[in-house]
Amino acid sequence: MSDLSATDVTIAELDAFEVEFSRVIAPLSDEQAIRGAQAQFLGKKGKVAEAMKVLGKLPPADRPKVGAVANRIKATIESEVARRLGELAQAAAEADLARVVDVTLPARPVPAGRLHILSQVRLEMIEIFAELGFVVADGPQIETDWHNFEALALPKDHPARDMQDTFYVSEDIVLRTHTSPVQVRTMLTQAPPIRIVAPGFVYRRDDDLTHSPMFTQIEGLAVDEGLSFADLKGVLLHFVKRFFKRDLGIRLRPSYFPFVEPGAEVDMQCVFCAGPGSACRVCKSTGWVEIGGAGMVDPDVFQHVKIDTERYTGFAFGMGIERMAMLRHDINDIKFYYEGDVRFLEQF
Amino acid sequence: MKVLWSWLLELCDLDKQPTVEEGAKALTRGGLEIEGVTDLGAGFTGVVVAEVVGKRPHPESTKLTLVDVITERGGAATQVVCGAPNVPEPGRKVLWAQVGATLPNGMTLAPKPVKGIVSPGMLCAGDELGLDDAHSGIIVLEADDPTPLGAPAQRALGLDDHLLEVNAPPNRGDVLGHLGIARELCAALRGRLVPPDANLADHLGDEGQAMTVTIADPMACPRYTARRLDGVKVGQPAGMLARRIAHRLRAVGVRSISNVVDVTNYVMFELGTPLHAFDANTLKTGEIRVSHARDGEKFTTLDKTERTLVPGDLLIRDGETGIALAGVMGGLETEVTAQTTRILLEAASFDAKTVRRTARRLGLHSEASSRFERGVDPQLAAFASARAAKLLCLVGGGTVQRTLADAYPGTSGAATATSAPAEPAVAAHAMTPGSTTVTVRVSRVAMLTGAALDAAACTDALTRLHFAVTGTGDVLEVRPPSARNDITREVDVIEEILRMVGYEQIVSTLPPLRQAPGVREPDRGDAVRQALAKAGAHEALTYAFQSAERQSHLGLTATDKRAQAIALRNPMSAEQGVMRTSLLPNLLAAVARNHSHGRPDVALFECGTVFLRRGESATDRPLTELADEQTWAAGVLAGKRATQLGTGVPYDAFDAKALAEVGIRAICGQHVAITTRASKGAVYLHPGVAGELVVDHVVVGWFGEVHPRVRARFGIEAPVFAFDLDLGKLPAAGPAKMQPIPRFPGTSRDVSLLLGTEIPAARVAEVIERANQPLVTGVRCLEDYRDGKLGAGKKSMLWSIAYRAADRTLTDAEVEAAHEAIVGSLVENLPAERR
Ligand SMILES: [Zn+2]
Repeated sequence: MSDLSATDVTIAELDAFEVEFSRVIAPLSDEQAIRGAQAQFLGKKGKVAEAMKVLGKLPPADRPKVGAVANRIKATIESEVARRLGELAQAAAEADLARVVDVTLPARPVPAGRLHILSQVRLEMIEIFAELGFVVADGPQIETDWHNFEALALPKDHPARDMQDTFYVSEDIVLRTHTSPVQVRTMLTQAPPIRIVAPGFVYRRDDDLTHSPMFTQIEGLAVDEGLSFADLKGVLLHFVKRFFKRDLGIRLRPSYFPFVEPGAEVDMQCVFCAGPGSACRVCKSTGWVEIGGAGMVDPDVFQHVKIDTERYTGFAFGMGIERMAMLRHDINDIKFYYEGDVRFLEQF
Repeated sequence: MKVLWSWLLELCDLDKQPTVEEGAKALTRGGLEIEGVTDLGAGFTGVVVAEVVGKRPHPESTKLTLVDVITERGGAATQVVCGAPNVPEPGRKVLWAQVGATLPNGMTLAPKPVKGIVSPGMLCAGDELGLDDAHSGIIVLEADDPTPLGAPAQRALGLDDHLLEVNAPPNRGDVLGHLGIARELCAALRGRLVPPDANLADHLGDEGQAMTVTIADPMACPRYTARRLDGVKVGQPAGMLARRIAHRLRAVGVRSISNVVDVTNYVMFELGTPLHAFDANTLKTGEIRVSHARDGEKFTTLDKTERTLVPGDLLIRDGETGIALAGVMGGLETEVTAQTTRILLEAASFDAKTVRRTARRLGLHSEASSRFERGVDPQLAAFASARAAKLLCLVGGGTVQRTLADAYPGTSGAATATSAPAEPAVAAHAMTPGSTTVTVRVSRVAMLTGAALDAAACTDALTRLHFAVTGTGDVLEVRPPSARNDITREVDVIEEILRMVGYEQIVSTLPPLRQAPGVREPDRGDAVRQALAKAGAHEALTYAFQSAERQSHLGLTATDKRAQAIALRNPMSAEQGVMRTSLLPNLLAAVARNHSHGRPDVALFECGTVFLRRGESATDRPLTELADEQTWAAGVLAGKRATQLGTGVPYDAFDAKALAEVGIRAICGQHVAITTRASKGAVYLHPGVAGELVVDHVVVGWFGEVHPRVRARFGIEAPVFAFDLDLGKLPAAGPAKMQPIPRFPGTSRDVSLLLGTEIPAARVAEVIERANQPLVTGVRCLEDYRDGKLGAGKKSMLWSIAYRAADRTLTDAEVEAAHEAIVGSLVENLPAERR
């Protein structure tokens, strides 16, 4: 009998790798070490490759047999590696799912400033009137006496323009007391049909719980052929319903403003109570709250701006934006609007 | 205008007596807003009229009286204990607060022993009923008082009544008397007006002396009537009528003075016509002249003040001597006194503007002037004169001379009138149409109101208001009552028709959209507001005026336009004396206010108008042209920005810069190139922490830390960061246009530099840009590191430069070449060392 052939020795050596690899990788628990072990056996200079260097010296007839053993060992090791890596991945995934974050901690703050409530209300009012074809117009806040008064049928000696109501800059220049001069400026530069809304600051010498020396009005003006008082009512009714998102009624009462005739005070149904007779501080139990003034454009105004009073009619209305915000958001003191108090501003 | 409900009803003949609420509602619906209704008798309940039928002293006290009272003729008497010294003799009536009565002080009466004798209630003094402060004794009704026994005390006191507060529109002089309001109520409720009794038949005396009245300027005085009364006794109001007059005047807020003055006031409140009574004994010439004052003419008014007049003032003269400032105030010399026995009664109409100017100039506003200022009906003068004469005779016991001097140039054409016999019964002209005729087209009524009103409906509405209407087709000829001086045009009449028909009768319609709304540039302010709020600041609105002192806190140099604020001539207070030229002072004041509320963390912005002078007008010159109104945005940051945990991150100048850039991009678009330079121009900012922002080579705003000295002036103790943007300088961007999405990957290379601290980051970016490497797509500063170890005045900066080509994947070699070229340029031009 002869010694073991070189072929048999090589096969035995290769077969031993299988067990050895199992032993090497058994304690390993991270991917890098397992890949290292794999390279130690299967790499270019790994144990299998080393063992196979003798292949050229073996009898050619034995070579396929040795090669097959080597391939089997390789496959075994690779599958072992894959299995172990799979186990590790699974364990890692499970470990990750064991993670617990205290989700009740506060959110990461995102920048959160607010538009002033008067800006929000103003933009919304503009939007509602835009649906009816009204575009925004504006004019200066320091205004001429002529635009603010004279052209609006309020001549110098008119009882409705007492010195104590108006801030004067000079004899003929005032802080506008209403947004109505924008009507005048628009009609002077634009031919009918006209439909504008003019929001803006106005100034009156008045300062108490419900009056601020500066406040915001929104003025509406429509001039066209055939506009009537019924149209004015319709526009105001549409606005009130849209703004309060409720089916509220409006009531027009005869009133006097020099630049409209017929003139009206506009009331809407009280949003704070169930109607007349309810104990209500806001409407004094009448069921109605005043929201502004309105009327058909006075022919004297048309004459000042040279619009044909026979061909055209028009209506105008004005409302206080503070008032609308007060009614919708329960703001009970006008001074909050202009103090820059963050405790107020951040609420809306 | 205060209106007494009982007085008003006296002037109306209504089919069904309305409640005061119904009356108020009807008047409001017609355009006379009733601002309040006061129940005059609401102060107490359970107090009745009782008659004293016996009295005797209290056995235990000399100060107390036991009084037997009855509340029903023949009824059983009740014994009441009374502590007043003036318990009347049996037969007189007193006011008994019975058990259960409630009094104005909130007390409810219960049976109460007084020195051993139980008193069922008490007899009331004036103060106990809240009528006056008198507690000298109980109220004893006049011997002739007609109130039945047992009736509520309110009736005896004239308090079973209501006071209406009427908000009379400034164009409605006709509703400044009860008669005018009665006309409105009758029109609303389809009743008939009942003018008060002015028939003088029972009071006529002799012919009297002839008297002439001359009006120099009929425009200033459309009518003047003068009437003489003899044998009048001036004194305190006595007798039922005089007391009633005084009582009603008190109710409408007028103090009782004497029977004569009370009558003139009463008729003014009744008819709306102010009257004046002269002591005729003090008049010398028998000639009344109405003419303008001479410049500098002196006149002493009733209030013992000598006035210096101007030619615009109108005087009533006795010959040449002034005796009254027309419509404003009578003269001291001719005042009615206790000695007066003969009276000259003036009833006239003066020009509203004339009275208004004089009253304003002299600061003499009275019930009379306020009526003349709105226009007093000339046609009513003779009636008012007769009414007052009648009441004067009734309360003062005199007689009326048979003649009246009545100058009424508007009708007779004569500005001079000599007294002439007058009819004892004067027509109540309040009910007759005046001389103005207005043409009204029924078609126009329907068009303007949007309601199908025909000639009959229009005529009905107008007749109710005592307008005379002729015509039945489309064209109506309308004559309003002379009192309605506010009705001169077709549209005035249409309003009358509409308010009689009722505004609520008009059915709402929406006008058709006849033309697309015009195009308007989007509002810059709103774009910036929305962007800044989104970026984390709260929008504040502050007054457009502020104190000159607050304005000066910024420390602007005198030549700065913003240091030349426009001042108000009549501010409400110095706190609101000048128009703002910058938004920052009010915002800084708001920071201080929030700090005082315990809110250290404040991020506020405002976007609004600042008011600058045009041209070179200096502050001491009045503004003769409109202001240059510019829209700015400004913001202030103090304290910390919130973080998820912990107490937050302190704000710094870069938060202010971020907001400023947000504001700029809101108008100029996301991709606008904004460059920053250190700024020395903003004096209100810290000299070392101030930047200016440049867009298109124009400085559009500033940001930085507020100068510690400036914030100290506002009382702010912690650092504040701010920005200020002139929105008018920002070029508006059009809509963003899409750029191709890169198809090939880009890469980046970093470079670390050691350079002088004086070299700003913007300079580094500029050198990189000037190197003009086409592959560069972006530059970012990753690190600005300062350490003494780097060497004095040195800093280390790490920059990252991004590279990409649109048409290929870059090779390392290409990138390296570009990057090295840039680094070379940095090293050479900054200069800098590569680290
Ligand atoms: Zn209510």
